[in-house]
Amino acid sequence: MKTFTVKPFLFRLLRPLPMPVIAILIGLLTGLAVWAVLDQVQGRMISKIANRELKTQLSLRSREGLIRFDRYVASYAATTRLLANHRRLAEHLDPIVWLPNEPFETRLYRDAKPAWLADSFARYELPTPSHILLLDGTGALREVYESRGQPLPGELTDKIRRQLTWPDGMRPLLVAVGGLPYLVIGDLIEDSEGFPMGTLVLAVPVDADFLTAAQQVIWPERVLVALVTGSTQRIVTSVDPETLPPGTHLKTWRRDYLITSQPLSQQETGGWDLHFTTFVSHASVDRMARHMRTFEWRQRGLTALIFILVFTAVIYLVSARLNRILKRMSRFAHRALGIAQPGFQRGNNQLLLLEDWIQQFTQLVLKARQELSRHYEHEMRETEALKAAIMEASLDSIVTIDGRGRIVDCNPTAERAFGLRRDRDIGQPFAVRSVAASDLPLFDGLLAESHRAQREGREPHVRGELAALRHDGTTMPVELSIVPIEVDDGTFYTLYMHDITERLEAEREIKSLARIANESPNPILRVAEAGRLVFANRASRPLLEAWGCAVGDRLPADWVAEVDQALVDGETHERETVLAGQVYALLFTPIRELGYVNIYGRDITAVRRAEQEARQHQAELVHVCRLSTLGEVATGMAHELNQPLSAIANFANGASRRLQGDLIEPQPLIQAMGQITTQAERASEIIRRLRALVAKQPPIRSAADLNAMVREVCSFVEFDVERLGIALHLEMAPGRILVNVDLVQIEQVLLNLVRNALDALADMPAAERRIAIRTRVTPDEAEVEIEDNGPGIEPTQMRRLFEPFYTTKDSGMGMGLPISRTILDDHDGRIWAESQPGAGTTFHVVLPVIATAERTTDSAT
Amino acid sequence: MNREPSVFVVDDDEAMRTSLKWLIESIGLRVLTFGSAEEFLAAYCPGRPGCLLVDVRMPGMSGLELQARLAKAELCLPVIVITGHGDVAMAVRAMKAGALDFIEKPFNDEALLGAIRRGLDRDATQRRQQLRRTDIAARLEQLTPREHEVMALVTDGKSNKEIAAALGVSAKTVEAHRARVMDKMQADSLADLVRMALLVAGPDA
Repeated sequence: MKTFTVKPFLFRLLRPLPMPVIAILIGLLTGLAVWAVLDQVQGRMISKIANRELKTQLSLRSREGLIRFDRYVASYAATTRLLANHRRLAEHLDPIVWLPNEPFETRLYRDAKPAWLADSFARYELPTPSHILLLDGTGALREVYESRGQPLPGELTDKIRRQLTWPDGMRPLLVAVGGLPYLVIGDLIEDSEGFPMGTLVLAVPVDADFLTAAQQVIWPERVLVALVTGSTQRIVTSVDPETLPPGTHLKTWRRDYLITSQPLSQQETGGWDLHFTTFVSHASVDRMARHMRTFEWRQRGLTALIFILVFTAVIYLVSARLNRILKRMSRFAHRALGIAQPGFQRGNNQLLLLEDWIQQFTQLVLKARQELSRHYEHEMRETEALKAAIMEASLDSIVTIDGRGRIVDCNPTAERAFGLRRDRDIGQPFAVRSVAASDLPLFDGLLAESHRAQREGREPHVRGELAALRHDGTTMPVELSIVPIEVDDGTFYTLYMHDITERLEAEREIKSLARIANESPNPILRVAEAGRLVFANRASRPLLEAWGCAVGDRLPADWVAEVDQALVDGETHERETVLAGQVYALLFTPIRELGYVNIYGRDITAVRRAEQEARQHQAELVHVCRLSTLGEVATGMAHELNQPLSAIANFANGASRRLQGDLIEPQPLIQAMGQITTQAERASEIIRRLRALVAKQPPIRSAADLNAMVREVCSFVEFDVERLGIALHLEMAPGRILVNVDLVQIEQVLLNLVRNALDALADMPAAERRIAIRTRVTPDEAEVEIEDNGPGIEPTQMRRLFEPFYTTKDSGMGMGLPISRTILDDHDGRIWAESQPGAGTTFHVVLPVIATAERTTDSAT
Repeated sequence: MNREPSVFVVDDDEAMRTSLKWLIESIGLRVLTFGSAEEFLAAYCPGRPGCLLVDVRMPGMSGLELQARLAKAELCLPVIVITGHGDVAMAVRAMKAGALDFIEKPFNDEALLGAIRRGLDRDATQRRQQLRRTDIAARLEQLTPREHEVMALVTDGKSNKEIAAALGVSAKTVEAHRARVMDKMQADSLADLVRMALLVAGPDA
């Protein structure tokens, strides 16, 4: 709660500050905090460490001072031993004999150094002792050297004498003389046999110089040493008598100095309670502490400064980065959602501005989401209602089943169709009760297929037809469509089942109707636009084979044109065609609204053939009739003559042979003769008949069109021409060619010539059979040319061509051409042939034409 | 059975039949006439010697058809065909089908009779050969299989030693077989035996 009140205040405060300033501020604050913490912690720690260190240092110093002092004393002792055993001293003492009881005078050296004293002190940098004494075996002082010119204190002499009697004798010793301690060191002087000759004693006042030399002062300013009596706590001697005058009490110095005392050993002092004391002035300690503090302060300052810099830099960088990201976001939001960008002015806190903006942004997004979800819910409700309505109203049965085939929902149609009840059958298995047992595998297969299709990302709707079971157990054909629904709980399937009983019946009806066309014995075809064949019944197979196309192909080009024409006209056309020897009449019936043309074919081959044959028969009849008038009968009769003549010859020959031999029996001969007579009569009868026939009949003449006659003749042979596959080429002169002829006779001539041409072509390959018939006209004559490309006529045959009974044919009589020539002669016309063996034959028939004037008149009518 | 050769005349024209019979009988041959091919086939018993004179053009079965029927029945009766004037094509067809000759009406009697004589000669020769062939075949029937082998090798020109080696028997045995073969085949000499072998091997030989 408190943050809510503090935050706006803080924000108001921070808002006008630019980001770098804030960064610096934070850096400063952090630095200060670091400072404060370090000040508290580090100061205390450091003073603690300093004090401990100081104490250690002091105790160390004082101990060091003591050690130095001891070593200094030891070096004096060593020097003493050196001197005592020095050659010079031995040389000096050797001649001297000190008697114990004799009176003597102590020999005093004051100004000059005795000869027996070797120059050892300078070498060891030791101050020369104030007094150097030689004592005899009893301890009497015999010689003394006063190096500093000071008389030897009597007290010292006594004490030395006393001391030297000590059993351990010669150790260094501190002796108090007039309150001032003296260091006394003695050593035995022995001759070469080890006989003691006396004792050398050094006495050194332990004064400031001694102490200074002993300490070889390192920090005289800060550390002072002094000897202090243990009992009285007063200074006996100090290194700096001016600062620490002897005789003063330690107490007086405690205020100014840190004092450390260490007792000297009793042996050294000879029972004198002396302490080696070190003085360290407080001032120097404080200075040291101050130095440390200064150093520590600097460190702390540096640390704080580093913190300030680092924090400032880091925060600035982070904020700048954030700033950029947020700016980008806001730009995006501005573009995408139309939210105003926050004003980024220099000198304002952009982060805070952005925070405000983000709040606004978030609220907007939330609002939008609420809006959307409200909208969605609304739509959902609408969709649900709509769906429910569709479900309710659907004429198809709709059943939803779950992955295990149990009913989840169904619509009223399904309830009616399958006897389901929503309040009772939800959760019951569907397929077992409502799909015919025979189609259960199919049903399961469709479900699996749908599921698989959905898994593989294909169109998952599958369709199939199967038999469903009504509630009363009867089956009902349905078209089933399965739509799988993938939800979290698993897969559901919505089954749409459409009752297709009626449709199937209609289909059956249509199929059976369609069969009518298919079963028709006549070809029935349907052609779509562009001549594409869409249907052809069974009977149209020969047509399709002849056209070389199948259902789905295009018809041949001219039939396509016919189909298009029918579609354009909208009228029924009929066309005849000959395909593979069959004649078809094709009725093109357009169905313009569908763009189809139905073709109803009829095989009229039989009809046409009958017609053709009738014509042929008629033509042949005419031909026979005409021939029988002359040629044919004549030929036949001429042939008949052969019989009686041969018989006569046989009888005659047989008779003559008999007569030549001796077999002469009259009866058989008479019979043979009778036979000869009979046969001769038979022959004359034949000849009579022939004569009656050949006898010229009165000529019939009428004006006739030669072109028309040629056409007529062509129509007679049309059937044969087609049968033999002959290419018949007609090249007629224009108009009519009028000739004055016996129509029947001339037609007979022409027919004969055309038949000859047909016969000539019989042995040629079918594809090469050609006949050309041409008519030509000049002012006087008309000519018919009949040309075939048969084997031609040999020149030898050519000569006999028009002789009677000459023929090259199996069945020929050899009368056609002679009769033709006769007829032509009668008409003042000509007939001749031209032939090139191997290339063909041409027959020419020339007839005089009727006078021009007459002809024009005729043609005008 | 009558072994005397006859001339069979088949023609639909009675005058022709009678006149031909008259003419042919003039040289002492026996003539039998038939009005149609069917009539002739019904009456003719195979093996009867003679020759056939037939008109090409007849109602019903034509001369050519009759010729074909005879050839099919393996009756090797020589056939002479009578054709009318201009029936050259027919004549050619008849000759191709194996007719001995063709005679054009009206006839040259010499030509006709010559042809008939040739026909009868041909028939007689054919019959003799046929007889001999059946005779030899009958003799061959009597041979044992081993004798057949010996005969085949002998007529092949092999010596007795070669035959012995080929059949794995001694030359003496071959000699015995060979003698038996000659005996059974009633051959006078080796040449005779070879001729018989050639005759039964085929009519071409």
